[in-house]
This record gives sequence, structure tokens and C-alpha cells, in this order.
Amino acid sequence: MRLVPSIRTTIGALILATAPVSADMFENLEVSGIAETSLALGLSDGSLQKSTVTLTPEVHFDLSSRTRVTLIGRLRSDLKDTLEPGRPDGQARATLSDRWHIGSHLEAELREAYLDTEIGATFLRLGKQQIVWGQADGLKVLDVLNPQSFAEFILPDFEDSRIPLWAANAEIPVGDLTLQLIWIPDTTYDEIPEPGSAFAFTSPLIVPSAPPGVPVTFADADKPGNAFTDSDVAAKLSAFTGGWDLSLNYAYHYADRPVVRRIASAQGITIRQNYERSHLLGGTFSNVFGDITVRGEIGYATNKYFRTDDMTDQDGVVRANDFSYVLGADYAGFTDWFLSTQIFQSHLSKAPLGLVRSGTETRATFLARRSFMNEALLAEALLIQSLNDGDGLLQASLVYEWRSNIRLKAGADIFYGKRDGLFGQFRNKDRISVGMEVSF
Amino acid sequence: MNTPSPKATRLFTLLTNWPKTILILSVLMIAATASFMPKIHKDTSSDAFIEKDDPVLLYREHVRRTFGLEDPIVVAVVNDGENGVFNSESLALVGALTEKVAALPNVDPDKIMSLATESNIVGTFDGMEVTDFYDPLPTTQAHADAIRDAVQDFPLYQGSLVARNGQSTLIIAELLDQEIAEQTYQDVMAVVAAEDIPDGNAVHVAGEGAISGYLATYIDNDAKTLNPLAGVVITIVLFVAFRTVAGALLPNVIVLGTVAASLGLMAAFGVSFYVITNGLATILIGIAVADSIHILSQVYEEKVRTPDASQREITVRAMAKMWQPVTLTTITTIAGFMGLWLGAEMPPMKYFGLFAAIGVAGAWFYSMTFLPAALTLFNIKPSRLFAGANVGDRYGHLLAALGARALKHSKVTLAIGILVAVLGVAGTSRVLIQEAQIENFQTDEPLYIADTEINARMDGTYFLDVIVEADEKEALFQPANLRRMESLQAYVEGLPAVHGSTSVVDYIKQMHKAVNENRQEFYTIPDDPDLVAQLFFLYAASGDPTDFEEEVDYDYQKANIRFNLPVADYQLLTQLIPEIQTYVDTRFNTASIKATLSGRVAVTHKWIQTIEENHVKSLGLSLLFVFIATVLVFRSSIAGLFALVPVVMALLLVYAVMGFGGIWLGVGTSMFAAIAIGLGIDFAIHTLDRMKDLLATRSGSYDERLQDLFPSTGRALFFNFAALALGFAVLTTSEVPPLLRFGLLVVTAVSTAFLAGITLLPVLGKLVRPAFLFRNADEAGLSKPASVTASLLIAATGAALLLHTSPADADTLPSADEVIAKVNAREEGEWVSRTLKMELIDRRGKTRTRDTEGYRRYFGDEKRTVLFYTAPSSVKGTGFLTYDYPDADTDDDQWLYLPALRKIRRISASDRGDYFLGTDLSYEDIKKEGKVAAEDYAFKTMGLETVDGFETIVIEGIPKDEETAKELGYGRVLWRIDPTIWMSRKAEMWDVGGNPLKVVHNSDIRKVSGIWTTHRIDVENLKTGHRTIFTFAEVDYGTEVDEAMFEQRSLKRGR
Repeated sequence: MRLVPSIRTTIGALILATAPVSADMFENLEVSGIAETSLALGLSDGSLQKSTVTLTPEVHFDLSSRTRVTLIGRLRSDLKDTLEPGRPDGQARATLSDRWHIGSHLEAELREAYLDTEIGATFLRLGKQQIVWGQADGLKVLDVLNPQSFAEFILPDFEDSRIPLWAANAEIPVGDLTLQLIWIPDTTYDEIPEPGSAFAFTSPLIVPSAPPGVPVTFADADKPGNAFTDSDVAAKLSAFTGGWDLSLNYAYHYADRPVVRRIASAQGITIRQNYERSHLLGGTFSNVFGDITVRGEIGYATNKYFRTDDMTDQDGVVRANDFSYVLGADYAGFTDWFLSTQIFQSHLSKAPLGLVRSGTETRATFLARRSFMNEALLAEALLIQSLNDGDGLLQASLVYEWRSNIRLKAGADIFYGKRDGLFGQFRNKDRISVGMEVSF
Repeated sequence: MNTPSPKATRLFTLLTNWPKTILILSVLMIAATASFMPKIHKDTSSDAFIEKDDPVLLYREHVRRTFGLEDPIVVAVVNDGENGVFNSESLALVGALTEKVAALPNVDPDKIMSLATESNIVGTFDGMEVTDFYDPLPTTQAHADAIRDAVQDFPLYQGSLVARNGQSTLIIAELLDQEIAEQTYQDVMAVVAAEDIPDGNAVHVAGEGAISGYLATYIDNDAKTLNPLAGVVITIVLFVAFRTVAGALLPNVIVLGTVAASLGLMAAFGVSFYVITNGLATILIGIAVADSIHILSQVYEEKVRTPDASQREITVRAMAKMWQPVTLTTITTIAGFMGLWLGAEMPPMKYFGLFAAIGVAGAWFYSMTFLPAALTLFNIKPSRLFAGANVGDRYGHLLAALGARALKHSKVTLAIGILVAVLGVAGTSRVLIQEAQIENFQTDEPLYIADTEINARMDGTYFLDVIVEADEKEALFQPANLRRMESLQAYVEGLPAVHGSTSVVDYIKQMHKAVNENRQEFYTIPDDPDLVAQLFFLYAASGDPTDFEEEVDYDYQKANIRFNLPVADYQLLTQLIPEIQTYVDTRFNTASIKATLSGRVAVTHKWIQTIEENHVKSLGLSLLFVFIATVLVFRSSIAGLFALVPVVMALLLVYAVMGFGGIWLGVGTSMFAAIAIGLGIDFAIHTLDRMKDLLATRSGSYDERLQDLFPSTGRALFFNFAALALGFAVLTTSEVPPLLRFGLLVVTAVSTAFLAGITLLPVLGKLVRPAFLFRNADEAGLSKPASVTASLLIAATGAALLLHTSPADADTLPSADEVIAKVNAREEGEWVSRTLKMELIDRRGKTRTRDTEGYRRYFGDEKRTVLFYTAPSSVKGTGFLTYDYPDADTDDDQWLYLPALRKIRRISASDRGDYFLGTDLSYEDIKKEGKVAAEDYAFKTMGLETVDGFETIVIEGIPKDEETAKELGYGRVLWRIDPTIWMSRKAEMWDVGGNPLKVVHNSDIRKVSGIWTTHRIDVENLKTGHRTIFTFAEVDYGTEVDEAMFEQRSLKRGR
């Protein structure tokens, strides 16, 4: 069943969500929100990449002294519609988590809807939410619980591209430790832009290719659909001891990236996508030494699939276990400056032959941020560099807080490197953007 | 000789019983008061002359914030060649100098203006284009010519940036901190000196910033060398007078005590040392010496009279005779200076009067205690000069001859006196009230030459600002308002001495012309407000939108019209400013738009205007007080009038010298009335007292009875006069005009007062025969009312001092460590919850707000604090958690939750001095909540001060080492701790370089659940002009804050 409400009901629902509700009904009602407009101009062809207006209303109210409800919606219109042309089929999403498309230029989404409550010392958050793990910035080892939209690759903040899921999240104090237990009955996975979208994947690292002349057919993705049997479970144990922030993480989950298999038959090649379960075991740590914050996360994921160019291989993918980690250091020793660097490595155990990616992949990131005028102006540059393929991404941004509630933004995203690389595949997608954010 | 009173004899016998004790106590007291002196704060700025809360100064500060205007230093490049400065070499020089000056510390790199930074507005096919004149750097004559043509086509730059004849151009550099303008002037001079100036070019450095900054130091430096020299000269005079070592040295100890008392107390009470305080030192030297000259003279006379008497006997006898006149002169001198204190409004002059009075009291005190003790203890050798019954040296003879002649031809003496007085009145009418800072420099000083040169060529480097304020935003797009401004500009430019002006109107006209193919007939204000708005928009599209920052505010609601004047003297301004004000009042101001005069020129006018009133007021008060004091002392109003005679003569002659000598009555010279009265009255009192004594105790004719007056008292007065006159004469050798004038006028005053006192008073006594002179001294019981008056007046001085500051001496205050310990022990509740609103205000008044909720709880000695942002939405959800450990060596643990990342970031806590989340308080300030990390500082109690009407103890904290200072970001902190609540009401911070950094003002302090709580903190960063207002509300110490609130996981939940 697909929910296709009329424009009127959708707008009505959003207005209702933001309209002041009588104070008798809910205690401590807070209504706020952010309206944001953003314009991105592609540098290679000088055409607009996007022209969006986004409204993010937020409502909080208390049901009782220990129970608080949060609703966050998002209404977004894109006059250009090149990121997800038309109405995306939403097949990566579970029905209850899907967006509502109102024409090809307007979409509405219930981003988050959860209830916070406490039972004894246990804190419970039930509903649609984002659960973020890990210590790394812009790189993911443990932050795998929520899937992500790649409509603009990894350019937007994870906050915006992460897809919230319906989940039950409990935090239970155990002595000085905290145990987090998570159950996610929401079978929503990464949104990969369809071919023809502005940021459609073309790198052979991800997308299989067929020999010339061989016909290719695409089969429907085989997506898990049972909320119970296909649900994810996860647990985290965290501690603060001797100055160290430590955590131990475990998840039994479906990897959010589909496994893309190429099945050769007499009729040609069929591309099939399905999702595979994985065990992820990992941990994080951070501590401060003088001006330097050291942080890291480490993870061991089983049952991961990677592309191979061995034409004799049956389905074009091979299975391996992935050991990956991020080590980072932040330096805040210069007034108004924040400098940060990270190194990321992913090492495949028993790297099979013909693997498209290297057995060990290394990336480094460098971040420099400087604030001016009592933090009214923030300038930031982030470089993500692949040390295997030599490609990378440079993101620069300026955010100026013009009034308490108005921010002006300008930015540039520059991809470089070989066309086959993860970042280099978008070398024609360099862009500059301007935007304004009004909060209320 | 005065008849020693038995009571006085008993008192001094008692005092000389323990000469060693008194000596040691005196030395200790001198050392104690002197120990404050190194801490004296020098304030040589010219703004110091006006009350800090004067509306004119406040408005100028407002203007400064709105338009970012500061007094500039101006560098002129001059080339008298055929093409003027429009040749590639001169233009390159302008470029090079601009770049180097902009790089200097204290020069605002965004506010430097020259041909190298300015833009040309030209019309183009589709609108207009804003291009830099120096794009690219001109290397050919053709390009230089093009720039000349462009500038000639741009009326705005004519006369202001480039001379109308093209032979000079300016680099105008605005300063960040006017207080260190002198250093910046020197830096600019160094840049110019290091620059290779091509032939045919000359470079000059001037400007208001340079003048006001440099003037104070200029005077101060010269005074520093001349004051000690005055001391040396006075010592020589003493030696000539007594020809003994004791006679030359003992008065110097009293000088030391006097100066220490006056300047030490100034430092202790936090009163700044101003430029004119230099004069105070010299005056105190003179006054301190005067008392001892009279006492020592008496001692040497006694020694001659009774050579076999013990040193103690002689001392007691001399003191018993001299204490009375010395006390009387002290009272009258204090009265004179109190007039200055009460009559003057400018803080430097007020304090001059007050601390001169304190110094005089100090001189009297040491003359009454230390001097007799020292004279008793040390065996004073008889002076060879004092032999026989009277002093037989040539000074004594000279004085005797002078006195005898004056008395003999009494009518002639009187006639001469009247003649001099008439001359004085004539001169007085010629005194010109005038002030022009530049005239305080020697005419061959480079700054003076530069000022003359630049102002002769350009429209002027003195600025009068007229601020136009409309009641609606964007009102300045309205042609009607712009025309109003245009008319005002035209009117003022038509006034004499106004040579040009700049306002946003000129830019609009230039842009209007530019968009109309540069046709001259379009150099007008457009009729359509939308077109005006579009012109600005067009400009912003191709130029730097901040180019108009100095002319119009962001909302187009306020504008500044800046008028150029080549001179800014007071006489001119008193003409000009009322005329402009009248125009503004009658023809400019309406209900919706009004104009206000501001700028350095208006401020200068305002405070010089007060000189005239203050001068008359303090003169009147001084004369009145001196009169009252004399009347009380002699119990005769005629005596009061007699005593005023030498003083008034001195005043008239000072005015005559000023009137005929072309010396203006300005800032420095306006105090002469009070000084002349204070110093001159001594001569009258000593003479009258002795005359009274002689007339009562001697026999014979009037002239015979007064015979002894001249060789003894007259001689002492002569050396008193000589010490003062020669001491101040040293100042006349100064090359700095104000010091020279100071010296000259004081010499005139004391000479006149001395001569009039020693001649006119005996003559008047002879002619008028007033009853008070012929009353029997014993009958009159002079000593009794005198002592009563003395105590009364000295008590009054003390009371006045109390009113200003407070009674306690820093020595009697609790120790700084105790105070800080009390502050740190102040109860703050085991837990607290509250809301905190932070308003971040930049120097242009733009405000950003942050609403937060904060919680704090103690876990044993460990303090945990958490802060959640609740508004605006863009930062809502941001959380900040701190664990502050009792062990000072353990760094805090801090976490920041950023909702955009949905992650808790561990952040370094080692940079305690960094600013807390964009506010003006540091992390350390926020964390300590008004307490102080005692281990970081060495503390010292500085005194008492009243803040917001509460008496506070001033505590100084100096970081214990350089590293700590760097960590904290402070090189020095002054807290004002209110001892009734043990909280700081106001704190000032200096940076590690010693520059003023921040002022933190705590207010709305009230009890919540029995705990004193600050509800508002105003922080101003003096370097950036940025301010933060913290407002606390809903403070609750009663409701327990859950321990779980301080766990990382609660950060994510937003509470």
C-alpha cells in the first residue's frame, strides 16, 4: 500500500503540526522551525544544480512531567529537480518511512516523531528518530544504524541526509556505565540516486558494468520487508573513566548499501540487488591531552560484499569481512581556530582476487575552521583525500550570522581526481552555493 | 618677634621629647605614601579633560560606534612639480606608504584611505562600474594622468583626498585606540623615515589623532626632566639663604614628604596623573620649601640671639613663634586650592585643586613634626649669615632699604601700586579665551610644520561631524531628506573656515552622474527614491559595500556629514558652531529627521567652553575662601581685604602679561588664578602677622615699629619668593610652549605677590590704620581663634576628601588574599537552575541573542555545569557540559553537543582564556561564576572605590607567571569587591601586553533563597568594541537538580 495523500491534506497536516495548539491540551508546547533557501550552481556547465526552499517545523510538548513528544517535519521544494528527477520510487524505504511527493518539485516528510520517557532510571525514546554512533566526522565506521540519502552524494550535512528510522531506543544506567539497547523494525535502506540524477553513481567501485554488446536487464531489488524478522538490533555500552570516553558497540543489522549482483545467463546480464545481514562489533574512544583531543572508532563487520572484475565470478561480488577504523585529532590551541585531521582505513580480511577496490583503502581528512567577529562569521574548509586513488573532495563554506535568527551561507564543493574514483566520478559536479536560513 | 604662646611652647617641648621616634615615624609615613606612587595611572589623553558621562562625549562615542569614526593620523605626500602628485613615482610612494601604514599595530587596516585604496565611480553601458584607482598600480604617466582626470571628475575627493591643485594627496589612517596614538604617530614617522622618498616629493605626518595623542607625551616628557631641575635650583636658593647643609637638605625632606603625600594618595585613590599634574609637582616643591624657610630663618635668628641655649630650646622657641604664621598660610593656601577644586568641572583641574590642598596640608604636617624633631636631634651649626640682632647680609639690607623707602614715600608707593593695577585691568580686557592644540607645539616641530603645510594645501584635517538621524529605516533614500542634507552642506561650506565636506549625498550625486554617461548635469540628487536605492545596489554590485560605512549606517537611517576645517581654534568654533546649530534648529530639523553636531571639533568646543565658566567660578570661589579664612584668622573683615591686595595684584599682573603677551586663556593657563591665589596669599599673611606683632610689641612711630619687618620676615619672604620664582623660572627654559607659559606666569604671580605684600601692605596699614593691626596681640588672643580655624579648615579638607573617596587607607583594609578567600567562600548553593539570555552586540550595535537554560550541581568538591541552548532555532539543542575538578592541576573535562552533528564532542579545556561561544567572557570567567582561581594570581589591595553607589575594595590580581597570564588571556585584573556580599561589582582586565581589554560589570545583584545572585553582567571588549549582556532569570537554588542532568546522555536529549 502506498500513501499518496493529496496536496491539500499534506499541507494541511504540516500547517496543523506548526499551528499553535491550545495550551490546555499539551504542557510546555514549543513550536519553532527553520526555513532555508539554497541555490547551487554547477561550475562545469554553469547551470543551476538545485534551487531549494526547505521548511523544517519542529513541535515539542509534554504529555506528562516525564514524557515529552517531538515532531519534526520537512517540506522541501526544488525548482530544478535534477537531484532526484521526477518522483523517486522510494523503493529503498519502508512504507511508513517514505516521503510524500507532491508533484516532482515538492516533497513532504515526517522527519522525526518520537516520544521520550523514563521508566525508573531508564530513558526510552520511541518513534522515528536518528541514532548516531561513532566519533568520526564525515566518515562512517559505526554510524551505520540510520541509512543515508545520497541524492547529493555526501555533500549535505549528515543531519539532513541521514534517514530517520522508526525505532525503540533505551538507555539504561548500569552502575557507572550506560547500556543502550536499540531495536529497529524499519526496513529502510540507503537511497542511491537513480541513473540520470545529478549525483548518480558511475564509479566501477560501486556500479557494475557489462562487456559491450551484452544486453543488461535490471531486476527489482529484493528488499527485506518483514518488520519483525528483518529488523535490526544493536547495543552499546559506554563509560567515562579516567578521563577516557569509551564505548563498545554491537549491531546485528542489514547493511544499508545493496549488494549489486550481476547474473550472467544466455539472455545476457541481469542486475540484481539485495541486502545482506552483517554483524558489526566495534568501539570508540576519546580523550583530551592539553590542546589536543584524540578520538577514534574501530569496527569489524562480517559478511560484506565487494565488486570484483573477475569475469569468471558467478555474480560479480565477493564476500569479505571488513576491519575499519578512524583515528582523529582535533587541535583548538589557537584562539578562534579549530583544526582537525583524521585517517581512515578499511582493511578486508582475506582480500579475494579480482577485487575492484584495494584490499586496504586509506582516506585522510583535514578540517580547518576559523570563527570571526565573536563567532558571527564561520569559515571552514574540509578536505577528504583518498590515498589509494588520489581523488578527493574539497568543501569550503562561509556562514554569517546576520541576525540572531538569520544565517547567510556560501559554499563551494570541488571534486578532483580520476573519473573512476569514488570522489572523482563527480568531477563534473563541482558547485558553488549560496543560501539563507531563517529560524523562528 | 611673635610672642611665643605658652601652650605652643608646651606642645613643641613635648614633641621634641622624642625626636628619634618622630623622625622614624615621619620617614615611615613618607615611605608608606611614596610606595603608592609607582602605581599611579597616567592618563595623558585629551578626553580626560571632560567628564566621562558628559552628553557630548557620550554622543561622540555613539557616533564612533555607528560609523566607526576615529581621529585619524594623516600622511601627506606633496609634490610641487608640473604634474603634482600625479606621476608614477609619487603614486607609487602613496601606494607603498598606504600599505606600510596599514600594517602598523593600532592602525585600523579597514579604515585606511588614500588614492591607493579608494575607488572611482564611472558610468558604463549598463550602469556603473566601481574600480580602484590603483587597478593596476600606475607605472606610466598616461595612467597617472588618467587618475588625475578621474579624481578631477570626482568632486568628493577634491580637497579631501587630493589637493585641488593636485600637488598633494593624503593617506588617512584611523586608529583603533586613541590612548596609544603617540606610539602610532612615532611608528608612522618611522615608516616615513625608512621610505625612500623620490626627489621632488615631500611627506608630512599630522592629523587630529597625531596631535592629541602626541601632545600629552610631548609636554609630559619635557616636564619630567624640568621638574627635578626645579628642585635642584630651589636647593641652591636654600643654600644661598642659609649657607648650611641642614638648611639646604632638611626642606628637601619635607618636599619629599609633601610630594609623596599628594601623589601617593592620588595613586591610592586611583586618580590619574594628567598632563597638568606635572605642574602640581612643581607647585608642591615651592610650597613645601616656603614653610621650612620661615622656620629655619627663625631658628638661625634664635641661635644668634641665644648662642648658649640648647638646640632643643632654640627649636622650641622658634617653633612656638612660627607655628602660627605657617599654619595661617597653610589654611589660606588650602582655601585657594579648594576654590579650584569646587569651581572646576574638568577632572584634571578638580584633582589638581584637591591634591594641591592635600599636599599643602602634608607640607604643614611635616614642618610641624619632622622639622622640629630633626632640628633637635642634629646639632645645627649657626649660619654665618645670621649675625647680630638682625640678619646683616646684603639681602637683609636690600629689603630694609626697600621697605624704608616704600614707607617713607607711602603715597608714591600706593600710586605705583594703583598704576600697576590699572595696567593689569587694561591687560585683563585683552585676554583672549582661545585654545588650539596645535599651538602647543613649537613651530619648528615636524608635527607643527606638517599641520600647517597640509592644512594650507588641503581642505583641512580637522573634522566637524554632523549626524543626521531619521526616524524611519531607509529614510535616506528620500530625495527630500537628501536635499535637506545637501542644503545643510552648502550652507556650512559657505561659512568662513569651512573648506569642504563629505556625505553620502556626494556619493549619490557622483553615482547618478556615472549612470548617466558622466554628464555633469546629472551631478544631482535623483528625484526618485527607488533610483537612489538602486544606485546603492549597483555600487554594491561592483564595489565594496562597506565603502559607505563612514557616511551612512546599514539601515540608511543615519548619516554623517563630515566638514573639513584647516584650523580648529576655539574662537573660530565659538562663531561657527552656534551658526550651524541655529541653521540645524531652524531650517533642518523636522519631526522625522534631525541633525546633531559631533566629532572631535564639537567635543573640543564643548570643553573649552567650560574653561571660561570654570575659570570665573574657581577664581571667585578661591578669592572668597581666602577672604573668609583670613577674616576668621584675624577676626576682621578689613584684614581679609588687606590680604587680598597682593593676591589681586598678582592676578591682575598675570592677566596683563597674558593680555599683552598674547598668551591665551586656555586649558593650561586657566588654572593660574587659583595657583596665583594659593601661592600669593602666603606673602600677605606672613607680612600682616608680623606687622601686627611688631605694632603691638614695639614702640615709636609706625615706620620705626615696622623697621624690623623687612630684614627678618621680609628676608624670609624674599627667599620664599626666590625659591618659587627661580624654581618656576626653570620651566621658562622649556622648549614646550605650554610649560614655558606655565613658568612665566607663575614667576609673574609670585613676584607680584611678594613685592605687593612687602611694600603695599605696610603702606596701606600706615595710610588706612585699620583697627585689626593695632589690637594688642595678647588681647586679641590670636592663637585661639587661629587654632580653632586651623582645625576647622583642615577638618573640612579632610571631610571633602572623604566625600570624594573613602576614609580607609589601603593599609587598614583587609588583605587581598583574605578578600579573595571570602569571595571564593561565598555560598552559591549546592545546586542551581536558571535561564540565561546572552546578547552579543557588535560595535555597530548589531545584536544577536542566545537563550539558554543552565544547571549546576556540586558532587562533593567537584562542580558540574550544563548549559542548553533553547533559541534561536539555528543553535537550539546545543549543549555544553563541564566537570570542574577540585584539583587545580587536573584539567576540566568538557563536552559539546552539536545538534547538527548529533554527536557529543569531547573538547579541550586547556584554553581557559578563549572566548566562551562567541561571548566576551572567557571559558574561565564563565566557569568561575564570579569567583577567582586564587592559585593563578598574586593579589594586592589597592584601596576603596564606589561602584553603583556601593563601597568596594579594589583588588588587583597579577597572574603569577607569564604562562598563566597567557592561559588566562589577562596580564592584570582589577576587581571591585563589595565586602558586604563578597562579590565583584566591576572588574577590569588588561591583556598580557598591558592594554585595556575588558570591563565586566555585574549588576542587579539580589538575594535569591538567601544567596546573593548577579542577574546581569555587562561585558565590553575594549579592543573589538564588542559587548555581551548576560541576563539571568528564574534562578532557583531550591529545587534539586537531578544528578543525571550532568551525564553526557542528557546532552543529547536537550535537558
